[in-house]
Formats: sequence, C-alpha cells, structure tokens
Amino acid sequence: MSWFRNIGACLPASEPLTAARDAGGIRRLPARLAALLLASALGSSVSAASAVLPGEEIYRHGILPSGDALHAEREGGIHVSGHAAACVNCHRRSGLGMREGRRTIPPVAGSYLFHPRAGPADDLDLPFVEGMRADRDPYTPETLARAIRSGVGADGKALSYLMPHYALGDEEMAQLIEYLKSLSPGDLPGVTPQVLHFATIITPDADPVQRRGMLDVLEKFFADKNHYTRAESPRLHSSRRMMFKVSRHWQLHVWQLTGTAETWEQQLRAKLAAEPVFAVLSGIGGTNWLPIHHFCEAQALPCLFPNVDVPVVAEEEFDNLYLSQGVVLEARLIAARLRENGESSAPRRIVQVFRTADAGKAGADALAKALAGTSMTVVNHALDAGAHERELRAAVRKAGAGDILVLWLRAEDVARLAAPPPGVDTAFLSGRMAGLERAPLPVSWRAVTHLTYPFDLPERRRIRVDYALGWFRIRQIPVVAEQVQADTYLACGLVSDAINHMADTFVRDYLVERLEEMLEHRVITGYYPRLALAPGQRFASKGGYLVHFADGVGTGLVAEGGWIVP
Amino acid sequence: MTAIRTGVCIALCAAFIAGSAARAAGHDEAGMTPEEHAASAVVTRSTAHYQVPQIALVRDDGKQISLPQEMNDGRPVVLNFIFTSCGSICPLMSQVFGQFQQRLGADAQHVHLMSISTDPEEDTPERLTEYARQFGAGPQWQHYTGTLEASLTAQRAFGVYRGDKMSHAPVTLLRAAPGQPWRRIDGFITPDELVQEYRRLLAGQ
Repeated sequence: MSWFRNIGACLPASEPLTAARDAGGIRRLPARLAALLLASALGSSVSAASAVLPGEEIYRHGILPSGDALHAEREGGIHVSGHAAACVNCHRRSGLGMREGRRTIPPVAGSYLFHPRAGPADDLDLPFVEGMRADRDPYTPETLARAIRSGVGADGKALSYLMPHYALGDEEMAQLIEYLKSLSPGDLPGVTPQVLHFATIITPDADPVQRRGMLDVLEKFFADKNHYTRAESPRLHSSRRMMFKVSRHWQLHVWQLTGTAETWEQQLRAKLAAEPVFAVLSGIGGTNWLPIHHFCEAQALPCLFPNVDVPVVAEEEFDNLYLSQGVVLEARLIAARLRENGESSAPRRIVQVFRTADAGKAGADALAKALAGTSMTVVNHALDAGAHERELRAAVRKAGAGDILVLWLRAEDVARLAAPPPGVDTAFLSGRMAGLERAPLPVSWRAVTHLTYPFDLPERRRIRVDYALGWFRIRQIPVVAEQVQADTYLACGLVSDAINHMADTFVRDYLVERLEEMLEHRVITGYYPRLALAPGQRFASKGGYLVHFADGVGTGLVAEGGWIVP
Repeated sequence: MTAIRTGVCIALCAAFIAGSAARAAGHDEAGMTPEEHAASAVVTRSTAHYQVPQIALVRDDGKQISLPQEMNDGRPVVLNFIFTSCGSICPLMSQVFGQFQQRLGADAQHVHLMSISTDPEEDTPERLTEYARQFGAGPQWQHYTGTLEASLTAQRAFGVYRGDKMSHAPVTLLRAAPGQPWRRIDGFITPDELVQEYRRLLAGQ
C-alpha cells in the first residue's frame, strides 16, 4: 500500500508513541495500532507516531491509496481530480459541512449519516449543525457508496448538483467510509457539561509588561463570562431535548513555559495531558513561536490569535490562526515601498540594525528575502545582548550617504539614538516594535523616518478601540501595553462569538472553521481595519500603512498613501 | 450589559428553537424540503442594465487598468466573481469558464472572459495567475484584483454583493457589446448551456 509513502510526510516527528491523537474527539487508536503493526511488518522506517488512515488522504487531499489522483464528474461534463475533488473543500476538515451563501453543505461525519431515522431533529442526540438531516433512513455502506458514486441520497432522491460523482473502487470506498466514521464527534477534550477549558501559552522570553497586561485582560474576560453564567443553573431544556445554547463556565489554564525552546513541546504535551483543553486562546511569545505552533498543529489543537511579533507563516496548515504576520508583514511593507521607488533610481544599499535576540532579526531576514533578486544590497548589523548605547550608535553610523537605514528596535533603543548619519535621508522603523505613535523617536530622525504601521491609523480605529478601552476602564485593567491588550481582548471576543454560534458542537476543527466563516462579518475589529480568513489563509489582517510623524513632537502621524497589502 | 447579554441569550435560544421546529417539520429556512433543495440546480435568467463603474483594478499580469476601458473594448464580455480560497462554488464556476473557452474553439478569440476577485487582499496577481492556470485560462480570460473598495464597488455595480465573500452565490453575466444590456444567470449553468446562451446573445444583436 503506497499510502505508507505519505505517512512520513504526515507524521509530526515529536509525537511520542503513547500520546493519543485527540483531534476534536476523533478516536483513531485501533486503526493507528493496526497501521503501526503493518508498518513494522513491512519494515517501514516510519517513526512510531500517529498513522494516517488511507481514507484521510482521499478526503483531505484527493489522493487514492495507490498514489493516483481522485477523479469525479459533475453533470454537464465537468471533471475534477486531485485536491480540487477532495471532500474537504465542501465538507470541511471537521466533516460537519458549512454554509456558503444560501447553500448548506451537510455533515458527512459518520454519526450524521448512519443514525437511525428520527422524527423531529431534536430527538437526535447529535450536536447541532446546519444541514443535518434527521427524517431520513440511515445510510448503509451500499447506499452511501451509491451516493458518492452516483449522487443518489439515502431516500432515493438526487443529491445537490454540487456533489460530484466519484470514481472509487470498492476497497477505496471502504477506506473513505471508515474515515467518515472516524470523524464522528466522540469524547470532547476540554469540554464537560459545565466547563469549557482553554489554555493560554506564554514563553519565558515574552515581554513581562505585555505579559501582565495580556493576563489581566484574559482573567477579567473569563471572569466576566462566568459572572453571567451560573454553572449550576439547569440546561435550557425542553421535554424533547432540543438543540439549545448551554452556558458553560469558562476556565483558563495559564501554561507558562520555562527553560530553552527545545523543551517547550515536551512541556506542552505534559500540560495538555494533565489539563485537557478545548483550544488555546491568545498567549504571548518572544522571538520563537515555532515549538508552540508545531505542537498545536500536531495535536490538532486550535491556537487562536497569540500575541507574537514573529508568527509562523504556513498558510496551508490549519490550527494556528494569527491576527497578522507581525514583523514579517512590516518587512514586506518596506520591500513594497523600496521596490516601488527603486525602479527609477540607482541601486541603494539597505543597512539594517537589530538585536539578535529579538524579533528584529526575523524582520531583517524577511526584508533581505523580500529584496533578493533586486539590485539592492542588504547589510545587517546585529547587536548582541551586551550591546548598549555605544554599540547601537556605532551600528547606526555604519550607514553612509545615500544608504537606507532600517531599524528594527524597541522603544528603549530608539530613545538612545543619536542623530541620523550624514547623508542618510531615508530610514524605516518597525512601528510594531518601537511602540507605534508612541515611539520615542528623537526629533532629528522624524523628518527622514518612515514607520511601518500594520494597524489601522489612530483616528480611524478610535471608535473600535474605545470599545475595548472602555471595558478596560470598567474592569479596572491598567493599560500598560494598549495594542497587545486590545489584541487580546479582540481574540477573546472573536472566539466567544464563534463559540456562541456553535451551540453544543464542540469539535475543535469546527471552531476553526466557524472562525473562518464568521470573521469577515465582525465590525468591532480593534486595532485592525478589517479581519478575514478562509481556507488557506491563516492571517486575519493582511496589510498596513507607511507613516511618518507630523512634526517634531507629539504622536500625530501622516499616512503616506493608503492601506498597502504587500 | 447583563440585560443585553441575557436578551441575546434568549434571542439565540428562540432562534434555535424556531429553526429546530422548522427542521423538525422537514423544511429548511428557505421553506424547501431537503429534497427540493437538493434536487434543484435552479438556474434563473434575466436581463439587467448595469453601469460599469469607473474604477481601477489590477489585472493578473500586474497591470493597473480602468474597468470601463478593459470591459468596453468592443468584445463580448462574460463576467463572474470569484475568490481563490473558495472551496466549492468558485472552482466550479471557473471550470465552466474553462470548458466554455474550449467548446467555443476558434470563436474563443472573440470573447473576453473576466473574473473579478471578491477577496482582493488575499488574491494578488500572482495568486490569480496560478488560479487561472489551474483552470486552463487562455489569453482571452483575465482575472482582476485591486483595492477592497474597488472590488466592493464592482460587486455592488453588478448586483452580486452579499456582505462578505463566503455569502456569495453563483452568478454569470454576459454582454454582447458595450452599451448593450447584460444577461444575468443565477445558479450553476453547464458549459454547454453557457455556450448556448452566448451564441443566442450574439445572434440576438
């Protein structure tokens, strides 16, 4: 079976043998053990971690066990194959379907296909999803195969035009149906009838002030949610067990990581085993978020909108959602501006100054990468931990006449800058790192410096952010890091809204899918003018401005052009 | 805040209960039974007069263009709205465009196929070029992006705006020549049907 070729690519290397792969309640242990036994029998060098059911390759990627593409036809002679034919495109990773415009795509997780005929839908003891059908005879393997091959439903009537007719052999069909059964929501990790468990993850190198500010927001948000929820109050009930919204107590687990980054995934696995949670909400990192990102992806655990200057850019993945690409976005804003100007003038030298142990390094790397292939030369001056004012100023002075300086510096370093080197008439400063309009940029720099501003402008975001600031005031939360705290409050609100719309259907993949669908509707978007996600999009805000200070003092800004999506 | 929250809570519960009752009777919100809903590949045709908005867009080759100029070069236009991250509706519509091109054969060189992105922040010219390649777009089929405002203006001008990209519905628009009315097709049409519509439109001139 050539699907073993795929296993190596799919397996996360760090997952230990004994960890149960708890992907939104999927129970795959028996299949996984069988796969492992088969793997060792065939002498496969595959690492002994969670195996992938062959049906998953068909469902998610449109690849048959033979390695060939899946093929399907629609009425009117439309042919689809490979990934375009994959079930996941419409039925989603959760298998719970979705709503697109006025169309509802039904769930195909096994329990929604094979349940006995029920009268009213509320007699079904299944979590509510749109498009679920109660008053229909259950599918059998034969009728389901007929539905998938010929578009005929369990009731003998034609399925939607959108549903293709698939070419699947008997064994492939059996594998696909087995996979559908595995998608049924089983035990829900981190969810009890009374409590919904969330974790927030903090790295040891997170900024302590931002960390405190974030935790204040999270703790008060959770307290608020629980204040209006009486865990002991009876579930809203009708005698017929209808779908209803259950108010659960929200519990926050703070997972503070320690030590070096190599140990973080192991710490997280231990924490998840000890404190199972439904999702990871917000959180804060330093320069390296990869271990957390990788952990969440491997565990199929949604990691929702952490406060990171350096996110992990992997749009084809699923579980990690970010508000923006942070310093990577800023680098691309700068590159877009440089490329715009650079076409007409002589090649310039770009001189970057950053601290090795901070986010600026990732920004500098991203800018160098974005400018590769242009005529511009990039020179980096990295400052180590021991570097103070003298070394900082010396690095800045490395820029000569005609050079363009790019400063990836925090406020403390920005305040220590001496005057710009002679002949340097263009400098860029990471707004995100330096404190946006509060960056303590000395007067001598203000005329030559453009700040990257990957947020909405202060006057434009005022109404949306006042909403958050008002809440901070009422809840007596000191505003020590406004942007981080506003982002945290935003993350809480987004997730809370999504959960409200999920009724009782606590499936992790489904939470991510609902966020994807709902985000664009949101009007209160905090520091961002607009948020949007979709399959293949993991960053909700995609652009920014370039600005400069209006004058020598104060926080007034002037935008240079409109919103840029690099 | 409490009263509002409770009110929202009650409203949501009421909505669920109402929805559940409807579903209990086997009808969905559109008042159709699931069978009706499933079986209908309903296609409606109408004629409309749309004003081509005076906006700038960015074509998939990276060039900034004026939509009226691009659209009014004399050729018949077949237009739809897509976004590249779309999983179900857009790939199908784009496939129909691709096959429509093929079935026209030599006549394809006379038509201008246009697809405008409803997710311009994500759909860069590069992404659109790759998307176009997947559907076998020939030289007469271009994809367009631009600012969010421009995309929204275009969507509104052609009556396809539904609030956000995920709420979209399949729509194909045809126009025989500048100044002529538009033929609007709501729903999924097959490539053969689109060829028929197109020939009928040109003949009716």
